[in-house]
Amino acid sequence: MRMERKGVKRGVSVYSYAGEYGVTMTLEDIFADIHSMGARGLEILGNSHIPDYPNPSEAWIERWFELMEKYDLVPVEYGHWVDSRLYQGRELSTEESLEMLIRDFKIANRLGFPILRTKLGVIDETLTPVKNWKEFITAALPYAEKYNVVMCPEIHEPTTLDSAMVQEYCEFIDKTGTKHFGLNIDFGIFREKELPKDQMDPGRPPMEHSKPEELGPYLPYVYCCHAKFIEMSDDLEEIYIPYDRIIAVLQENNWDGYVLSEYEGFHRGQPGVASDQVRRQHAMLKRLIGE
Amino acid sequence: MEKDCIQSRGFQNIEKDGEIVGFQFKIRSLYYRGVWLSQLRPATVWVNGEEFGPDKITWTIRGETYTHEEMAQLGDVHWGLLDLATINVEKPGGLEPGVYEIKLTYTWSASYLPPRIDTVFGSRPHVKKLVMV
Repeated sequence: MRMERKGVKRGVSVYSYAGEYGVTMTLEDIFADIHSMGARGLEILGNSHIPDYPNPSEAWIERWFELMEKYDLVPVEYGHWVDSRLYQGRELSTEESLEMLIRDFKIANRLGFPILRTKLGVIDETLTPVKNWKEFITAALPYAEKYNVVMCPEIHEPTTLDSAMVQEYCEFIDKTGTKHFGLNIDFGIFREKELPKDQMDPGRPPMEHSKPEELGPYLPYVYCCHAKFIEMSDDLEEIYIPYDRIIAVLQENNWDGYVLSEYEGFHRGQPGVASDQVRRQHAMLKRLIGE
Repeated sequence: MEKDCIQSRGFQNIEKDGEIVGFQFKIRSLYYRGVWLSQLRPATVWVNGEEFGPDKITWTIRGETYTHEEMAQLGDVHWGLLDLATINVEKPGGLEPGVYEIKLTYTWSASYLPPRIDTVFGSRPHVKKLVMV
């Protein structure tokens, strides 16, 4: 396998192909697409992209590593969930949440993923996590060490960098000194342009956003980023999110890691659109990174 | 799989002990992630406008058939994105050959969304014309 260079590296989340997967494209087709845009980093969602999840077969795992080799891909991030409202009418206990975490640690470890996008259940409009998150995350830390994974909640709009939630995550990391809990920054938090009216949730309060220039102090906590995007223009610019400034901040701070494309545009149900849009984004990222 | 939730293939009557007891059709999940069965919320089916409520419906997933009450307790059985689920509807005598407009509603819980919109993803009904051979 090729050595990974230091700095900002390009990758893709298979989530970007949600409209194609199982209908117009297989997982291998998607890997071929990612490889053909010169990206190496890979994110899958455990629940979505592993047939027979949570019990993948040995044959499938063997094939997984063949495909990583064939398309020169690096497993970067594995998406998983703690479904706090798994059962109607009650929240998961700390013990049940811990079991859910460990089940995915094992699969991620088996497939070679070092980073986890750990999605926690939330209790309000600003996405405040469930009250017992510190308890089950603390209990999970020794297991995360054993299975060599870093749990990273995704900081996603409408959450902002200066929110109490992000401060609390960072304090938790400082206090415990853990190397197995960190952050995934979703670039949607830097969105500057309003979405078209017909694409907005009418019941949602107006959203605040952070500026890319605020990101620097948080980067020591960041293991991975979601290169969320909405629409790439014909001149290879993202219309809603200031990518030039985001990549500049990552580079000025010598951040080392993968930015993983997450396409969430309006036409993603149309066959072929995801491939075209992700490809455009990678043309832009390649230019901004200076590859 | 076909792009729509409701698939053309698999629409047929259900025979049990020599009698037609109902009909069934297959669906795929349009959500971007697989779900645990307890995340699912009861389905209702309409056939040319005739309603069949959740108590008339069972789901077959990966070879096992479940009632809605059973699924509500199954937080460790998973419905993956590549698995077609079969919706079984109780209707003595089944359906005659012909073209039917099938409407299906069901939804699921997503804990990472604000509780206000917990089941918003599945709120749109699925409609398709299906052919009974």
